[in-house]
Amino acid sequence: MAVAESAVPVVRRFRGRAWHETVSFYLFVSPWLIGFVALSVFPLILGFATSFTNYDGFNIDNLKFRGLGNYARVLEDDDVLYSMGRTLVFTALNVPLGIILALGLAMLLNQAIPARGVFRTLFYLPHVIPIVAIVWVWRIFVDQNYGLLNAVISLVRPDTGIRWLVDYATYVVVALTLWEGVGGGMVIFLAGLQGVPNELREAATIDGANGWQVFRNITLPLLTPVIFFQLIMSIIGSLQILVAPILLAGASMGSVPPRANYLYLVHVYVQVFANQRFGYGTALLWLLFAVVVVLSALIFKSSRYWVYYEVDQGGR
Amino acid sequence: MSAEALTRPVAGARLGIRLWTREVVTLAVLLLATLVFSLPTIWLVLTSFKPETEYASYPIRVLPSALHSENYVLAVTIFPYLKFFMNSVILAGSFTILTVITSAAAGFGFSRHAGVPGRHALFALVLATMMVPGLVTLVPQFMLFSYLGLTNSYWPWILWGLSASPFHIFLFRQFFASIPKDLEDAAEVDGCGKLRIFWQIFMPNSLPAVAASAIFCFTWVWGDWLYPKLFLSDQITTLSVRLATSYVDPIGNPLYTVTMAAVVLYVLPMVIVFFLAQKYIIQGVVTTGLKG
Repeated sequence: MAVAESAVPVVRRFRGRAWHETVSFYLFVSPWLIGFVALSVFPLILGFATSFTNYDGFNIDNLKFRGLGNYARVLEDDDVLYSMGRTLVFTALNVPLGIILALGLAMLLNQAIPARGVFRTLFYLPHVIPIVAIVWVWRIFVDQNYGLLNAVISLVRPDTGIRWLVDYATYVVVALTLWEGVGGGMVIFLAGLQGVPNELREAATIDGANGWQVFRNITLPLLTPVIFFQLIMSIIGSLQILVAPILLAGASMGSVPPRANYLYLVHVYVQVFANQRFGYGTALLWLLFAVVVVLSALIFKSSRYWVYYEVDQGGR
Repeated sequence: MSAEALTRPVAGARLGIRLWTREVVTLAVLLLATLVFSLPTIWLVLTSFKPETEYASYPIRVLPSALHSENYVLAVTIFPYLKFFMNSVILAGSFTILTVITSAAAGFGFSRHAGVPGRHALFALVLATMMVPGLVTLVPQFMLFSYLGLTNSYWPWILWGLSASPFHIFLFRQFFASIPKDLEDAAEVDGCGKLRIFWQIFMPNSLPAVAASAIFCFTWVWGDWLYPKLFLSDQITTLSVRLATSYVDPIGNPLYTVTMAAVVLYVLPMVIVFFLAQKYIIQGVVTTGLKG
């Protein structure tokens, strides 16, 4: 009897504790949760619904349902395929170059060399510079007449006057993006390199492996999880490049980049904010989202063939 | 034995020379790479000290004839620089304070409430939203805010700040995970509620995470061009938007050298913050960038 009496409050107290934990958890995450529902989920549903209408920002009273019309229109819009093609060109340049440069820098700066910290800081620095400033820097750097780049090239090939922003616009955006981003990747690879045990490399060197073999067979495999993460984030970021091409073209709302830099999101931006085609624009955005999801899923799937996990896959 | 004793130091010296050459080559490669990498920045600073005529001279002048600082004076006088500078500070500051607090709270929730139903699913949601292209939510948010009449005000940033940010939730959760459970248990035994544990134990002990998060928030708003361009009128917008177009001569041609001086002034606070808090920033980048 006495036992039973005392057992009840204990059980209740335990239940009380779990209940308290739950309440506390939901209170702590409530700002995010409420904001997520109000500012993400709701707009996303709204946006998804909009993608089936002819909404132009003003015709809320006169809204027409167009079914899959906006999506069908994609097939007739030559600019969709064109801009997606340009975006893929940009991504194909930016992603591998970014990873190779960041990894190369990290390998160089992981060695014991003088002033290592200064070098690391210098390469990371562009990462803290705002995009508007970066674009200005590159605009005057690659200027056809007064830019330093053409002046430097003129040292070996006199009177060089390459119109970088006209004829090589995509490469300028690639260079600018790499310039800004390589430091961030370098820092992450440097941290990743900390996880490569020195003993392994030393053991391989003693066994007669040269520098390249050590890199190829020890460092690189151990870095694949980091490369994998960088690859995903870099691809997602590259597909969404928007501000740099617009600002390079002249910064005002209506300034459309040259055809080479007419990337996918630039097309969406023009459709939504210049032409007020909200319905069509959101349809285009959902298609991009689908592309991102499919690409990420493919890379995830492929990861089991090339990403090396120390713990076996199931045992996480 | 004697043969070994003889060859050893020689081999050692040879190895030493090889290591030394390797170091010199590495250093040379790095110096060259750094020079090429720094050229755009060097050009920015040099240009900001030239009069417009020296910028537009042919063949180009690499160095300014003298350190002309008048561009810096012009940059802050021919356009209300300070006003837009303050707009940026206010907008970035309020967004930062709110985002850090709400994100840290959510991060605390996710890292310190084992076994609560729905916790893992919600955290997966946090990670998933980091993958959604920004514009996919921005465009409908834009429609929503214009419908509610909240555009052309700082309300969107306040609301975004109040609703935390997935990236920062992730950062705080990762950091809080490294704080020993004993600390929390001891406080709980002493009768501390969760809120006090969070505010008086976790936050003061998480300076690196708070610093990194605050700097990321602040630099994001400070450097953002798209959101203020879309949401704010030219009068109340941020410095970054105005910097893109504001320095022109009466005919509308850009004043390059004055613009570059303004750009230097705009970038300088970020660079100073970076040098002061480099350690925390790098730690933050690594915490969020290493483990998916």
